[in-house]
Amino acid sequence: MATDAMGVSMSPTMSLAEAASTLAWPARGRVQSSPDVASRAIGGARRQNPGQDDARRAQSRALEMDLIREAQAGSRVAFDTLVRQYEHQVLRLALHLTGSEQDAEDIYQDAFLKAYRYIGNFRFECSFYTWIYRIVTNLCLDQLRRRKTRREDHAVVVDRTGDEIDILASVSDNRSFSNPARELDRKMLGAKIQAALGKLTPRERMVFELKHYQGLRLRTIGEMLNTTEETAKNTLFRATKKLRAQLAELR
Amino acid sequence: MNCELAHEHIVAAAYGELPDDQVHQLERHVIACPECQKEREQILALRVLADAHPVIEPDPNLVARAHLRLDDALDMLPPRRWFEVLGQRIVNNFASLQSAPVAAVLLLMAGAGAGTLGGFEYAQNRAAHAATVAQAGSPSGNSVLPASAAPSPSDVAGISSIVRHPNSEIVDVSYNQVVPRKIEGSLDDPGIRQLLMMASEDSTSPGVRDDSVALLAAECRAGHSCQPSGIRDALMYALRNDRSPKVRQKALQGLEPYVADDVRVRDAVLEAVMNDNDPAVRTAAISLLEPVDADTSVQQVLYSVSNSDRNPQIRYVSRQVLSRVPETQ
Repeated sequence: MATDAMGVSMSPTMSLAEAASTLAWPARGRVQSSPDVASRAIGGARRQNPGQDDARRAQSRALEMDLIREAQAGSRVAFDTLVRQYEHQVLRLALHLTGSEQDAEDIYQDAFLKAYRYIGNFRFECSFYTWIYRIVTNLCLDQLRRRKTRREDHAVVVDRTGDEIDILASVSDNRSFSNPARELDRKMLGAKIQAALGKLTPRERMVFELKHYQGLRLRTIGEMLNTTEETAKNTLFRATKKLRAQLAELR
Repeated sequence: MNCELAHEHIVAAAYGELPDDQVHQLERHVIACPECQKEREQILALRVLADAHPVIEPDPNLVARAHLRLDDALDMLPPRRWFEVLGQRIVNNFASLQSAPVAAVLLLMAGAGAGTLGGFEYAQNRAAHAATVAQAGSPSGNSVLPASAAPSPSDVAGISSIVRHPNSEIVDVSYNQVVPRKIEGSLDDPGIRQLLMMASEDSTSPGVRDDSVALLAAECRAGHSCQPSGIRDALMYALRNDRSPKVRQKALQGLEPYVADDVRVRDAVLEAVMNDNDPAVRTAAISLLEPVDADTSVQQVLYSVSNSDRNPQIRYVSRQVLSRVPETQ
């Protein structure tokens, strides 16, 4: 049994259906969520051996700074190492936001080409992670805005050949106990949530994505989106409000 | 805490973004507020639901494909040219300056301050120098210092000219310092005399030596406090060492009143009789010895000269002087 920052007990016993019903009709009891969500809610506050973590982080940051300097001096090898360090995170974010492998690949390409072209401008005022994420989030925001304009609604992920991929199907649900009915409900719910996310403004979508799915601090999100922590917090609040309304209507 | 603020804090707290003190405030409020309890439950429910649209790891094939495509694109980029690299560095440096505006401003202020101070100091020095030059007078010698302003000998680089005012005791002695100066004063003035004595040893200018020795000699002949250790020494030095016979003759004239009383002067004159290379000087020196021909050392010198000197004129003059010795005795 874990306790989050609000003192609410978190356990893996709450189902998606219970959560859905809680949103639509307020539950009488306390809400519980999965351990995954609980750990994210804590936001890394519970860490073991913080001293070791800090030392490791400082060391990896020093190595990264060396790599950046070499890349600034024109080393392709150093830049390639930086790319390999962040490419999974970049693709994961772009894929989740756009729902399209093709778009994610394009964003990946544009982001790292921009990074290569402008790495000389990097002045170590923020982490390279924040810097590259700023590039990626800007490209994703552009993509989301274009999509808004075209009023596209991607409920499923599209691969580069144009075939639809059900993201939910690729994820095992250890809470459904392989119950086919529950699995179906879960897939439908996932599609509905994706649709609800699609109705947020690009900026709300981005803040919610970075906070909820990527687990970033609001301060970092503010830096990435060239805004303040307070604005990011307000945007997150608006996003959760809208999502709750959307998901309550779905019910 | 009102409910509207509490709702915002509930979202922040659900994502671990609420400071501890506000968490406690929120907790107290939520316990007492059923509406906010409901709000909190709904937010947590949303978080559970949102996870039904999970983040999936990108397919390794997608990663590899994207990486290859990026590599190809990077290969296609033209290499950066030297001026692009240079421009980048300049922009970066400028950006660094922008990023540290306080330091930049302080640096600029320090530089400006130092520059102003340096300029002020330089201007002051220049003004002081100009004033000194103006005070010292122009090279043409329009400005003349009084004799009381005579410099110490160590300040004088050399004597450039000496002019005596007609029918007076006044002389102008021009001497060189870093800035040429001129002083005016009586020949009896110790400063003027000091300069004249220096001028008598000035090896670079025969005219100055001539003038100074002539003046010093005249002073001695006139009996104007020609002290043994001052002007007399200078005249003896000139007699012994000056290259110009004319100067040596003038020195002899100056020493004449002291031949009888001052043994050192007498010795100097005897040396001139024996060693001077100019017959006129030697002749003049011999004639100076007439008042003291009773001195045995003088007689010896005269004998020696009258017998063995190569110059018949010298031999003749010395014999004449010797011939008068018995008479005087």
